[in-house]
Amino acid sequence: MTLEIGTVDLTMDEIAGRLAAAFPVELSAVSVQEPDTVVAHLERTRLKDVARRLKELPQLAYETLNWIAGVDLGAQLESVYHVYSWRTNTYLELHVTVPRAKAELDTVTDVWPAADWHEREAWDMMGIRYLGHPDLRRILLKDDFVGHPLRKDYVDLAENHPHA
Amino acid sequence: MSDMVPDRLKIGYPKLEKFQNPNVITTTADFVFSWARSNSVFPFTYGLACCAIEMLSSGFARFDVARYGMEVFRPTPRQCDLMIVAGTLNEKMAPVLKRLYDQMAEPKWVVSMGACATSGGPFYDGYNVVNGVDKVVPVDVYIPGCPPRPEALFQGLLELQGKIRQHSFAPVLPGAPEDAGS
Amino acid sequence: MPDHFAVPEPDEAVKLALRRVRETTAVGGGSDMEGLEFNEVVVNMGPQHPSTHGVLRLVVTLDGELVKDVIPVIGYLHRCKEKLAEKRTYYQYIPIVDRTEYLASMNCEWGYVMTVEKLMGIRPTRRAEFIRVIVGELMRIASHQVAVGTFVADLSPLGTAMVFYMFRDRELILDLLEEVSGARMMFNYLRFGGVRYDLPAGWVDKCRELMKRMPKLIDEYEALVDDNAIFLQRTQGKGVITQQDIVDYGITGPNARASGVPLDLRRTRPYSVYPELDFEVCTAAHGDVFDRYRVRMDEMRESVKIVEQCLDMLPRGRVQLGSLRAPYVITPPPGSCYVGQENPRGEYGTYIVSDGSRYPYRLKFRDPCFCNLQLFPKLLSGNKIADAVAISGSIDLVLGGIDR
Repeated sequence: MTLEIGTVDLTMDEIAGRLAAAFPVELSAVSVQEPDTVVAHLERTRLKDVARRLKELPQLAYETLNWIAGVDLGAQLESVYHVYSWRTNTYLELHVTVPRAKAELDTVTDVWPAADWHEREAWDMMGIRYLGHPDLRRILLKDDFVGHPLRKDYVDLAENHPHA
Repeated sequence: MSDMVPDRLKIGYPKLEKFQNPNVITTTADFVFSWARSNSVFPFTYGLACCAIEMLSSGFARFDVARYGMEVFRPTPRQCDLMIVAGTLNEKMAPVLKRLYDQMAEPKWVVSMGACATSGGPFYDGYNVVNGVDKVVPVDVYIPGCPPRPEALFQGLLELQGKIRQHSFAPVLPGAPEDAGS
Repeated sequence: MPDHFAVPEPDEAVKLALRRVRETTAVGGGSDMEGLEFNEVVVNMGPQHPSTHGVLRLVVTLDGELVKDVIPVIGYLHRCKEKLAEKRTYYQYIPIVDRTEYLASMNCEWGYVMTVEKLMGIRPTRRAEFIRVIVGELMRIASHQVAVGTFVADLSPLGTAMVFYMFRDRELILDLLEEVSGARMMFNYLRFGGVRYDLPAGWVDKCRELMKRMPKLIDEYEALVDDNAIFLQRTQGKGVITQQDIVDYGITGPNARASGVPLDLRRTRPYSVYPELDFEVCTAAHGDVFDRYRVRMDEMRESVKIVEQCLDMLPRGRVQLGSLRAPYVITPPPGSCYVGQENPRGEYGTYIVSDGSRYPYRLKFRDPCFCNLQLFPKLLSGNKIADAVAISGSIDLVLGGIDR
């Protein structure tokens, strides 16, 4: 089996249209960002279900997860998923927001195994907890670090600087 | 641990009054041993970040560190005299640095290579960055630069050689002048 | 007791490894021969280790020489780059991006600068595009020289001459890049809308001359190891990355191309002037360590071809939009954007969220080595320790990018 890239020839608008048709309720604000990315907002409760179905879509199979980013939007935290479809050679950028007080999301490691470390990093830096993750612990910072540094309200604590 | 050795096995050293103060024998011995030590330093490859690549480059053919006798880069601290800390130190790595420094045998020297090791460098206001290696280990020579060219590294190493030549064997007695000893 | 005699407390990674060891020997999976019990040992490789290419720590569970499990622990070089982005202007941040993947600085700058240009909606001048391709490909050759050189040096500790030849020739490339940008490693050369300095007089001829010599130099490197029976035995068939792994873990770059997947962002998501250039995407069939080495050597030759074409096609004109002195402070319109480019190690890109102010609101790096490192537990398990070192050298990790 050789992985083929770009075997399916669809325009970006067609892809966006198919996604909007396949997920009318779950995806909102589906738009196209030239040259090859579709941007959409996803409701957090449907994340796992949509992820599984995205991977199995007939022509658009989004099989590879490129990265996950945590973004601090003030009242909400956002988890951005960037996925790639080999057949159409296009990307899909999913934005999922969670309230700051209860920053929890389902994990997608069973759909895209690459999410393992990306979710750990989002937990480490931004404090978004991924439920069902096999091993959610800090990845870049030391184990007893206090706080989530990439949040906008992070204050440099003395206990994080024993060697100052 | 020396209290575990029974008294009959302890070696008694003769009192060496002749060698308690610097005299022609100690200074000649100092000169010979320090000259030998300064020209055969074994550096410890403690390359953390980008400066490590310049340190590697200085070890290879074009900027040859072997002409100063320092080509034997050992990966274990127990065989080294000189620790060249090349790169940014952060809070997670600092205990490791201290541990490796402790594992080196005396006499030992530390060169902090690059702006990050000297004072935190471009990342000085990071939440995880230690602003300078000298907050963890005592540093003998600071080499500024980001990254310092191999020639700058050599200038620092030559300064260090000068410092090593000042190393003295005379024991430091209470009341002895400050600069007798390492 | 002095410090260095104390045994350190096991941290999370070691505790996890010890838990897993107890699980397997409890099931009775350890005993193999009558009356003999086999214990699995948890050994720490790193963070200071000659073969881990940086401050990577591998907590390895060993059964004799056989690696049962690997837990990579990273973060020993975490320099808070993503948080620093929120305190530096876009222009001030370019030198910091340089220090992400410090072996391929030009390409990293390119990945950042392209994203900001897309946010701003500007395009660089045509001459600057060609210059970017030239320095980017020269950087790719230099980066592969270090990658392959240190990989071969790992197989027999500095015993092969290959790494010395490669570093000698890397100096020739760094000389060229120093003439153009002023620095040997952290160039700070690319700007939004172009590059900082135009090529100095005589540079094109020097570059052409070096590119004429380069194929012979690459032949020299290959002559040193390609026919060596020990090298072939140690690298062929080891550490195979399957295509399913590539899909599952997002592996990109030479590691993916060595498994037969023609994933090269210069062709699949073309940027800059790559559509006008004629070069091949280098792939190999098996995906083992030898194929990854082979793909990198082939890519060096392709880069030489690209540089020669660009030198011939170099147009006249300016190298920066507007005057050479402006703009120092830019404020991209609010929005978010991700652009990936082909780094020597894979897909490197930045995702920038801008709120209209002079500082980025959020900047995230997509680093190829971070994604490639996830494959380690799967890739290294079941091999001997010596093979594990060879495989990890062939994946080509740069900790600056993994830890950011």
